[in-house]
Amino acid sequence: MSEERKILSHTDEMTHTNVSDGVDRRGFLKCMAWAGTGAVYVMQGGVLKSYALGDHGKKKLAGELTFVQLSDSHMGFNKPANTDVTATLQVAIDRIKALEHQPEFMIHTGDITHLSKPEQFDTVAQMLKGVGGQETFYVPGEHDMLEDEGKAYLERFGKQTQGAGWYSFEKKGVHFIGLVNVVNLKAGGLGTLGAEQLEWLEKDVKHVSKSTPIVVFAHIPLWAVYPQWGWGTEDSAQAMSYLKKFGSVTVLNGHIHQVMQKVEGNVTFHTACSTAFPQPQPGAASGPGPMKVPAEQLRSMLGLSEVNYVNGKHSLAIVDSNLG
Amino acid sequence: MKNYRNLKTNVGIVIVMTAALCLGALGQSNSASASKAEVTIDNFTFQSPTITVPVGTEVTWINRDDMPHIIASDDKLLKSKALDTDERFSFTFAAAGTYHYFCSIHPKMTGEVIVK
Repeated sequence: MSEERKILSHTDEMTHTNVSDGVDRRGFLKCMAWAGTGAVYVMQGGVLKSYALGDHGKKKLAGELTFVQLSDSHMGFNKPANTDVTATLQVAIDRIKALEHQPEFMIHTGDITHLSKPEQFDTVAQMLKGVGGQETFYVPGEHDMLEDEGKAYLERFGKQTQGAGWYSFEKKGVHFIGLVNVVNLKAGGLGTLGAEQLEWLEKDVKHVSKSTPIVVFAHIPLWAVYPQWGWGTEDSAQAMSYLKKFGSVTVLNGHIHQVMQKVEGNVTFHTACSTAFPQPQPGAASGPGPMKVPAEQLRSMLGLSEVNYVNGKHSLAIVDSNLG
Repeated sequence: MKNYRNLKTNVGIVIVMTAALCLGALGQSNSASASKAEVTIDNFTFQSPTITVPVGTEVTWINRDDMPHIIASDDKLLKSKALDTDERFSFTFAAAGTYHYFCSIHPKMTGEVIVK
């Protein structure tokens, strides 16, 4: 895996396209900025730099399909890193409601709850009801599958899914695939998709035309962000090999509670902020535990991602907003 | 168990286990069953990743993290529920051997208990 990665500010925009006449200049320059330069981190006082909402506030995001990615709500968490995760999720919801261009649906990339409690799932589901379009598509994080092999999660969100909760669906010509990489983890290892799910994935995309844009979402990053902290997925390379034929693949993940992006061939990888608490940059602390930041700084380090698909350009514009 | 290399060792283990069961039957005041050890979890790390204890030792894991952890042995002999902050899980090792364990939700966290 190359070292082409960068933490983007919360308001940066990245447009990735493989159509020669559809290159977004700004996005292209951003790609260039980190391609080949190794790891470039934007830091401020030892923490992730978050810009004020400037460009995003003025920019109109029009397109055929807009959806929002939420992640890592950790409902039930009440430690010093954020003693009120309900309030910060509500801020994210208010931000979604205020979007000029309302999304058609939302994706939640896991760790909906902190401890897999039924009431924690229900609180989030209730809060997200009617927000950001018709429905929210979930995949579980490891915090959602703590007891009884994920019974509480699967009872609520796994009704039309396979195995431990994976599934796919189509929206306006875009093929979405929700994967589960947080169960049956092996000692010393990373996230795992497993043979059964990989087999399903191979079949699922077999008859999808190669011009169809693909959006894959899963909790743990499907690229090696920082394996030392378990921030990666053992068998993600095999999953990605099934997606090679597609001209546009976007991979959305959570888990690491910060924004990172990487472009590899036709694939754009993106991780979203948490709505609950930030985690340190890879290697910046002795471990990946919740980061305690001054109260006035917290909301600038939490956020949501808005994804806008423009038909015909095969491109996805991802805008991350903080909650500040 | 994968660490038992041959039949001879296995026979030895059966004897030790039988002895432990007998001692257990004699009462809790027995010094072997009273042996205790602790492993603290802090910042996604088992603070004593390797501990060596006598047979019959009750090992207690204490989670000092803001995040939950689950203690599970590779051989599925033991598995805790999700331990939230300051919660504990205890397991008594009745037989000699090397027990590898990990956090089943953060599998990079690994440790071992050597029971002699």
